[in-house]
Amino acid sequence: MSLDRLASALADLEEDEVLELVHAELAAGTDPMAITRACQAGMTEVGDRFEANEYFVSDLMMSSVIFKEVGKILEPVLTSETQVKGGSVVIGTVKGDIHDIGKDIVVNMLKSANFDVTDLGVDVAPDRFIAALRETNASVLCLAGLLTLAFDSMAETIEAIAEAGLRDEVRIMVGGGPVDGRVCEVVGADDWGADAQAAVRLAKNWLEGDSAA
Amino acid sequence: MADTEALYQQRRVRIEKAIALEEVDRVPIAYMGMAFAPRYMGMSIAEYCEIDQNNTDVTLAAMDRLGADVWDGINALPCGRIVPSLTSLWLSQIDTPGRELPPDSLWQVNESEVMKPEEYDVILDRGWPAFLDGYLPRVIDVDELEASRAWVRANLDSVKDQCRSHGYVPISFGSTSIPFEYLCGARSMNSFYADLYRHPAKIKEVMDVMVPHMIKDGINVARRSGIPAVWVGGWRSASSLLAPKIWDELVFPYFVEVTHALATEGIVSVLHLDQDWTRDLGRFRELPAKMCLMNSDGMTDLRQAKELLGDHMAIMGDIPAALLYSGTPDDIFEYVGALIRDVGPTGLILCPGCDAPINAKPENMEAFAAAGRELG
Repeated sequence: MSLDRLASALADLEEDEVLELVHAELAAGTDPMAITRACQAGMTEVGDRFEANEYFVSDLMMSSVIFKEVGKILEPVLTSETQVKGGSVVIGTVKGDIHDIGKDIVVNMLKSANFDVTDLGVDVAPDRFIAALRETNASVLCLAGLLTLAFDSMAETIEAIAEAGLRDEVRIMVGGGPVDGRVCEVVGADDWGADAQAAVRLAKNWLEGDSAA
Repeated sequence: MADTEALYQQRRVRIEKAIALEEVDRVPIAYMGMAFAPRYMGMSIAEYCEIDQNNTDVTLAAMDRLGADVWDGINALPCGRIVPSLTSLWLSQIDTPGRELPPDSLWQVNESEVMKPEEYDVILDRGWPAFLDGYLPRVIDVDELEASRAWVRANLDSVKDQCRSHGYVPISFGSTSIPFEYLCGARSMNSFYADLYRHPAKIKEVMDVMVPHMIKDGINVARRSGIPAVWVGGWRSASSLLAPKIWDELVFPYFVEVTHALATEGIVSVLHLDQDWTRDLGRFRELPAKMCLMNSDGMTDLRQAKELLGDHMAIMGDIPAALLYSGTPDDIFEYVGALIRDVGPTGLILCPGCDAPINAKPENMEAFAAAGRELG
């Protein structure tokens, strides 16, 4: 019951209450993974409210702040065996662009949705994306950028991935302020996300499609 | 020369009529493309950023090349170096081409949490100017900033004359904003947005201390330039980014206060609005009638803006940066035609949304100029 309350408190962005409940659950001996799942349920509700236009970007960001705070509390008690992850995703802001805010929101939303996220940061050259894809075997790649200059880098990155023989192994989404369907087509991506929630939905659809296959 | 002056006056009246929502003989068209101009004219962005006079010279040259007969004006007077003025507005370090960045790349805001949370108390205790004195050296070399400001003070009149000699009307000069934007830049978006949820009452108190200074800045810059219009920017305070409660309490009241104070002094607020403001367009009726110019970037629904605000404020925009990059000249013609049909002709000034990007296709900017000429 109090785990339900925890999920609701996170969905309502009640930071103090969330942190109090997490401490109380741990003190009561609740499985840390159950606490994590309750918080993930809260984050899912945040995403749903965002899609329903009840929540806005600031709400997404605040939910990520709270989720990170919870993570700091749980990290020492979560073992690697208990942290079952969903699919792998590589993400980064492309070369020549140092903006990270939108990208970081996507990273946090993906993590809260249980994806195994490799975040390469900003100003990422194509060869670093290629190396990360090889290392992680990720089948989803997110290319972020805020500047229109980033579009050229997105196209170059996707071209380099094709030249490296990885294009058929990975589905690529692009996102960031001015990205739209036309830009997606021009740079050669598979799809694009207008916001963080769209990115999570795309990743889920792609990876669930893979599992079904 | 006399012909150019007559043309300048004709264009000035056309722009003024558009802002006053009066009938115009044709829809005015304004240039905006800070980084596009040097790229289009073969100047490196590093050179553009380094030499004070280059902004004026290369912008006017680009406008002439795109079509001297087309432009009624320019969104903001191109005067002085971009990086110092952006730093003053964002309160963040700006990475500069030729310094931190390759010579022909674009300047970029290098955002980090420079202002610490305890410094809200510094603003409350010592005031905004005292805080700024201590803060600015953390994001810019203050000698360089002062040199840049001195150049602008010394050359403002000659830059205005230069524009006038080309027949181009500067629609605005200088900028101010609401307290939200300065705090957001100084604290960084991530930290400031969390502050909005954690300490809203304190932030409101700080904003109340700050806003008279934003008003004073706007009035002073307009008086100094003699151009009765100032940018009043909003980017991180957009409706699409913020929960309504935050926007209602910590954003919009300050837009109301700043724009009315400027209007009392006869100064038009050019509302340079990045991102999507559609949710709250109805509230913009609370701003002073015919003393604001909504300058959006392609994300706000201008059809709704026209419907809700068509008898209240003019609109300047909004050819999207992405379209100028990825579209074709036919796309540009189509976009401009639809804009004039749906949002004009009264109360519309055609302009790139936000700023034509550095890598806008030249043929698309040429198409924009041609579309303004043929369809406007």
